[in-house]
Amino acid sequence: MTAAPGNIYDLGYRRYEGARLGRAVVALGLLGHTLREAYGIGRGGRAKITPFLLLILNALPALLIVGVQALANQIGAGVPSGPARLADQLPIRHDTYQNVTSTLVLLFCAAQAPELFGRDQRFGVLPLYFSRVLTRVDYALARTGGLFLAVLVVTIVPHLILTVGSLLTAADPLTGLADDLPDVPRYLAVSVLASGLLAGIAAVISAWTPRRAYATATIIGVFIVAPIVVALLSRLAVGDIARIAHLISPTDVVDGLNAAIFGTIAESRAVVTAALPGWIYISVTLVAIAGALALIVRRYLTVAV
Amino acid sequence: MTAERGDRSVRLSPGVPAISVDHVSRWYGNVVAVNDVTFALGPGVTGLLGPNGAGKTTLLHLLAGLLAPSAGSVRIAGRTAFGDPGVYAQVGLVPEREAVPGYLTGRRFVQTNAVLQGLADPGAATGRAIATVELEDAADRPIRTYSKGMRQRIKLAAALVHEPSILLLDEPFNGLDPRQRLHMMGLLKAMSAEGRAILFSSHILEEVERLAEGILVVFAGRLAASGDFRSIRRLMIDRPHRFTIRSSDDRALGAALLGHPAVFAVDLLDGRLAAQTSDFGAFTRLVAPIARSAGIRLFELTPTDDSLESVFSYLVGR
Amino acid sequence: MSSAAALVDVTLRSLLGRRRILLMGLLAGSPVLLALLVRFGGGRPDASAVLDNLVLRTVLPLVALVVGTSTLGSEIDDGTLLFQLVKPVARWRVAVTKALVAALATVVLIVPPMILTGLVLGRGDQIGTTLAGYALSAVAGGSAYAIAFTALGGLTRRALVIGLAYTLIWEGVLAGILEGTRYLSVRQAMLGIVAATTGDGGERTPLAPTVAWTIVAVVVILGLVLASLALRRFQVRAPD
Repeated sequence: MTAAPGNIYDLGYRRYEGARLGRAVVALGLLGHTLREAYGIGRGGRAKITPFLLLILNALPALLIVGVQALANQIGAGVPSGPARLADQLPIRHDTYQNVTSTLVLLFCAAQAPELFGRDQRFGVLPLYFSRVLTRVDYALARTGGLFLAVLVVTIVPHLILTVGSLLTAADPLTGLADDLPDVPRYLAVSVLASGLLAGIAAVISAWTPRRAYATATIIGVFIVAPIVVALLSRLAVGDIARIAHLISPTDVVDGLNAAIFGTIAESRAVVTAALPGWIYISVTLVAIAGALALIVRRYLTVAV
Repeated sequence: MTAERGDRSVRLSPGVPAISVDHVSRWYGNVVAVNDVTFALGPGVTGLLGPNGAGKTTLLHLLAGLLAPSAGSVRIAGRTAFGDPGVYAQVGLVPEREAVPGYLTGRRFVQTNAVLQGLADPGAATGRAIATVELEDAADRPIRTYSKGMRQRIKLAAALVHEPSILLLDEPFNGLDPRQRLHMMGLLKAMSAEGRAILFSSHILEEVERLAEGILVVFAGRLAASGDFRSIRRLMIDRPHRFTIRSSDDRALGAALLGHPAVFAVDLLDGRLAAQTSDFGAFTRLVAPIARSAGIRLFELTPTDDSLESVFSYLVGR
Repeated sequence: MSSAAALVDVTLRSLLGRRRILLMGLLAGSPVLLALLVRFGGGRPDASAVLDNLVLRTVLPLVALVVGTSTLGSEIDDGTLLFQLVKPVARWRVAVTKALVAALATVVLIVPPMILTGLVLGRGDQIGTTLAGYALSAVAGGSAYAIAFTALGGLTRRALVIGLAYTLIWEGVLAGILEGTRYLSVRQAMLGIVAATTGDGGERTPLAPTVAWTIVAVVVILGLVLASLALRRFQVRAPD
């Protein structure tokens, strides 16, 4: 070194003087983090088992159907296409998929929602979040949004597989696309609404029950007890009570949604006998989601940290 | 496994140590929490000293029969600690982290302990125990309304209600204000004078220094030292003893002291002379003659590091 | 007050202090609400359908699960069991007392609303026998479940999830598929007891009463033994 004059640099505590991204970026960051957390990404192997297992199990029938379609193509001609195509004659289609899906999605919600909402409360980490530019409302909405997206992935992936499969196995991709296209907005709508409803219920219960095992049990309890109550009411009760009783059961509402949007007949006996118009299911879902969000926000506004 | 009732007075038979730990180890998989510890305790107050994570709580749990040793044996009043509930008639435990039931009132909690101990008159014993810890005013409130210090005291009352001959306390002074700490120290001293064996753990040196007659120093699961801390200090002959001297001519005295082989370092700072020697006894004998022959007056001669802190830092630093 | 009474007192207070017990009370009361809806909505009252499907198969196991895991399991989790263990009281006494308290609490939560439901929904002469059958079955099955789940709570930290898996998967899904599981199912034992008393077997051949009661007895005894063993071997959790 040249004989420059000596300097002592004060490297003490340095403050950050640069640009700070705003609230929206932070909230979106938490949302993305929640989505990753829901799938155990960034948390080691064991945390990934349950969500990915459920995701794959849920998508399995779709994969099988695509396989069957491909096989049928291989076997040869005589495979109908157009209005009477093979895809529409198989038992598992876009409009019937929800029946396969519902149990697994419930399990996903019951398993993962408590993790997303309970851990921060149990380990006392909330002050770290709330002493930043992120508000309590932002936190609540970001967490719920993350769960919603995670559940949406589970519900929508099989449909996407079916669509892509139908594209690839059709004689001509454009025909395949055209055949499938009418269903696309329908299954998007059903997936979004159903995921919103189930995630919302799971989120409310998880936010109010920080002990994860009890949150899981409560979620499962709610999803299990409600249909039984509904089934009994539909068997025994008459009149208006019987008709609207099934609206307290999330699985029945989803069933009704599905039937309404796809224009088919519902699986659940209660829904069929009630014969309510479709917009009721959609409004019930939206009201339930709004109510859930309100309760979740209320929880985080009032929880003592 | 029947409950032991009847005579509640201190019953430590002579010849049988109150607490006897023989080559005890406890491991969790690859982590060894307690590593080949051996000691025996009798009546009196002993301090279990060590930094956090040294294994104090694990050792206390082993003594209280709440953990089974992976190796070795733990005996309380001659009986194996683990798996013998009868031993609890003579043992009181004040745990650190285990919770007290917040839904019970203080009185009901102590009374439940008294009943479970099989006392003939649980009500009276409860009253006495609560009076001892000075919680009469709060005794009928639920424990969840208590401050941390009050919780400590109600735990102590519950552990004392059956007047055990052996008392195990895990960080008992945590959360107590200075007055409460003094009070509890007085309590423990009085109980030890009655012939009870008391073992308490702490990582705060001053507490142990004031209260304990003997100490057990644990570090990283091992027993680093046991006994009275001054004698432990004497035993550490390979570590220099330090003395602080004030005299009429520090510099000259320092030069004179350096001439003696027992002294190997001398510091002049802050208007005092600090001398280091490897031989405590020899130094104490040579200082006065050297000062007199040099014509220097001695005003103050203090062994600087004969405190628990220096013992501890040395043992822990080894 | 004896040791046993003190243990019962502490366990009850511990249970009643938890918010989830309130929820279980609501859950146990929901059949009454349902019954009232049906009855006064002009519906067709069918007591056994409600009592069988809603109460016995669903509400009872869930309530027993939460109550059972809340006695021993929760007390271990929050550390309030410790002061009860460092006492010269035989561990089996502690375990058995808590398991029986759980059983009692379950029965008290379940049976009165169940009887009320039956009275609201029942018709005429048969209601007495039907109610007796279901009540007896609920006492037997509820106790068995509660004791088994208490033991589970003492043995593992994951008692709630395992109990749920047992109820939903083993007794629910698998029972429909694998015939042999019928003999390993408390639910089937309960249905067998109902059938023996009321003569109503439901859609499948119920278990014979001797078999049913044997299952209940085995579960109760095994539960008490396991809970006692769990407490005998009890050690505090490793420091985190």
